[in-house]
Amino acid sequence: MAFGPQILDWRKASVFALAFILLSPVFALIILSFGDSEGLWPHLVSSVLGKYISTTLLLMIGVGCLSLLLGVTCAWIIAAYRFRFSKWLDFIILLPIACPAYLVGYAYTDFFEYAGPVQVALRQFMGWQSARDYYFPEIRSLGGAIFVLSSVLYPYIYLLARTAFRHIPENFYEVAALSNRSVFWNIALPLGRPAIVAGLALVSMEVVSDFGTVEFFALDTLTLGIFNVWIGMDSITGAAQIATVTFAFIIILLFAELYSRGSKRFNDTSRRQAIQHAKPLVGTKSFICILICLIPIGFGFFIPVGILLWNVIMTADMAALEEVWSVLQNSVYVSVIGAFIIMLSAITIASSSKVHANKSMRIAGNLSAAGYAFPGTMLAIGVLSCLGAVDQLLSWTSIYLSGTLFALFFAYLVRFQAVGYGAVSSGLTKIPLNLMSCSRSLGLNAQQTTLRVTIPLIQKPIIAGAVLAFVDIMKELPMTLLLRPFNFETLATYSYQFAHDELMDQASLPALIIIVVGLVPVIFLNKLLRA
Amino acid sequence: MLKCKYVIFGVVISIFSLQQLVAEELNIYSHRQPFLIQPFLDAFTQKTGIKTNVLYSSKGLAQRLRSEGRNSPADVVLTVDIGRLYIYRDLGLLAVVNSDKMLENVPSHMRAADNTWFALSKRSRVIITAKDRVGTDEIKKIEDLADPKWKGRICSRPGSHVYNRALMASVIAHHGAERAEEWAIGLVNNFARRPQGNDRAQVKAIYEGVCDVGIINNYYFGKLKFSEDKNQRVWAKAMNLTFPNQGATERGAHVNISGGGVALHSKNKANAVALLEFLSDPASQQLYGEINFEYPVNPKVAPTAELQSWGVFKEDQLPIERIAELSRQAQMMIDRVGW
Repeated sequence: MAFGPQILDWRKASVFALAFILLSPVFALIILSFGDSEGLWPHLVSSVLGKYISTTLLLMIGVGCLSLLLGVTCAWIIAAYRFRFSKWLDFIILLPIACPAYLVGYAYTDFFEYAGPVQVALRQFMGWQSARDYYFPEIRSLGGAIFVLSSVLYPYIYLLARTAFRHIPENFYEVAALSNRSVFWNIALPLGRPAIVAGLALVSMEVVSDFGTVEFFALDTLTLGIFNVWIGMDSITGAAQIATVTFAFIIILLFAELYSRGSKRFNDTSRRQAIQHAKPLVGTKSFICILICLIPIGFGFFIPVGILLWNVIMTADMAALEEVWSVLQNSVYVSVIGAFIIMLSAITIASSSKVHANKSMRIAGNLSAAGYAFPGTMLAIGVLSCLGAVDQLLSWTSIYLSGTLFALFFAYLVRFQAVGYGAVSSGLTKIPLNLMSCSRSLGLNAQQTTLRVTIPLIQKPIIAGAVLAFVDIMKELPMTLLLRPFNFETLATYSYQFAHDELMDQASLPALIIIVVGLVPVIFLNKLLRA
Repeated sequence: MLKCKYVIFGVVISIFSLQQLVAEELNIYSHRQPFLIQPFLDAFTQKTGIKTNVLYSSKGLAQRLRSEGRNSPADVVLTVDIGRLYIYRDLGLLAVVNSDKMLENVPSHMRAADNTWFALSKRSRVIITAKDRVGTDEIKKIEDLADPKWKGRICSRPGSHVYNRALMASVIAHHGAERAEEWAIGLVNNFARRPQGNDRAQVKAIYEGVCDVGIINNYYFGKLKFSEDKNQRVWAKAMNLTFPNQGATERGAHVNISGGGVALHSKNKANAVALLEFLSDPASQQLYGEINFEYPVNPKVAPTAELQSWGVFKEDQLPIERIAELSRQAQMMIDRVGW
């Protein structure tokens, strides 16, 4: 009776219900967009829409390519070779993941602009007098934004790609070597594709929904347009319309990739354990590998952190430290609980749709991760609408959800489900379905199979997803800002009130602590993945 | 097992909804950063014993208030910029305030006709120029900035920022849409670089020689002049500050406001009004000048000595609500000219 219809239906229904709850803020935004935007679109089309779309696309393509280049290159070097410091590099390559992009943007602007140390040094060295004597690339530009965003986003691709490369069975590599084909191009890249694409999807969605960096760099992206329409023209309807169109675009992209993957399978059905022996390198080759890996780490971590650290040291203010301490506790609290909730939901949805190999469930699962493609503030407005409606329904009870931590956790779940779901489902592709079928035929029901077979097998991806979710919540700003309860600051909101006013000195200490705290689970993750 | 889950869920929900309202607390939704309003709120608590809770967000608080409906815990809304105040009123989120004291403290062109919102401080949009490169009488009017003689010499924050949008609206109000757009095109043609950064960044750019002329809110000048950062004090020293449109037949410099109102569903309306009264009182009005270099709205209070040392200026008497009404038109114009 393990495959009894009632049990199946119950599980199926719960997955659909969960997906529906996760999508409800998105639905709320879509409903909002059905209103009348009072002739907004003709104006947008004739003036700024083209610029919004082209800037967004260029930014997406630019960041996508650069992060792929950095992430996949480093992942391959670390996975395929063993050289001096390679274990160390493996760990520090991940560090930029803890750095919020907009704060790195602020730091780099200070660093590269006219009065910053780079240009001052250049002028002293070359004897130039003013800005008119030489050309220096403008950091607040499209190129600058691509650089900043790629520097902090490439670890998403790195992490997933490296894990995938390491899990490719040794005999696949042997076959490639025997038939004289490139191991990287013919084996690793095609087999790593689901993981790499999952990483790329996360990166693209981060780029589309980014507000802090593009606002600071004054780039006319769709997200910036959403805010111009919303705040400037007082049209939340128009803003919801742009957000929905952008969202549809992302969904189409994701589905295009899923369908192009078609019926290909990427899991290993052989009995061989997937342990790959890295090739040892010495001398010049190892030196070059070290150098390549150090480039992204330098840009994504050491330089920006160095700048923040310098700001903190120059304005040592111990009184601020005390205040930051209590704020830090809030940050850790919401990040831990939030990550836990996200992983619970991700495992439920991903493993159920795997066990049932049911197309509609898989689509529901993929859609449930869609919140990631909305700008945080817009998603927060969707969350507000939903919870407001629930509160109205429950007004006869003492339950009140808006403006409580519940609202915040719900928002984190909706937004970062993609992070957990991506990690879990790419981990699941590595497990052959017949293992689960086997467990079911041995008498375990679906729930027991999930707990006793699936979860232990994908322990590492689960922890990786949890760490990513933790760090993402730690860095999250716009939703936390709008949804938090009274007198509740996280490091991100605390830092923002100063950064918003371009007061980098005061913003630097909390910014630095966001990064340091985000590093703790990253270090842990790395230890675990290597064990 | 299932029952157990429900119990846990119930407990968790009740923890989350514990945040009940206490009578002697006042909940504030603020578009101003906490570190700017805390000194005022501390003084208020000291005087009245009423504790204040603040939720700060630069965006979306009106939507939050609206979604929360009658359940909302908010009592007072504090904003910068008339446009935002107007959105709250437009959505019907503000209560009518019946307070003779408010009517006395805030002149009629600085409050809503229906007494739903009140200005609490004023700031002026001023022109700054590099002392060593621009003569003090070279720019007298905001209109002068469209003169081709400034080609490649002006820096600006993006036009879609509220402060610039309000300025654009005031130009539309005075010159009509057609001439206003010509002015905006002229201004954009004169930019030395793509609009970027906040007002502080414009001063820095002028100091660095990227451009010679900028438009900022007056209080940024004060913040830089008295900054803890030595560099910023140096930037301020290198600038001249000009209040535009001061001639005998001119309209005066464009002003914007920070202000507030009482939330429609506040359970604490008396205390909420008390806070607004407190903020419009002479003592607090003085504090706005001292802490943030803003001008008082209360006619009984003179600007601080520091503000007076920058010059006494004539302000644009355009009813402030007009700016909010023209906001959408101004944003569309900004989109078209690429400011």
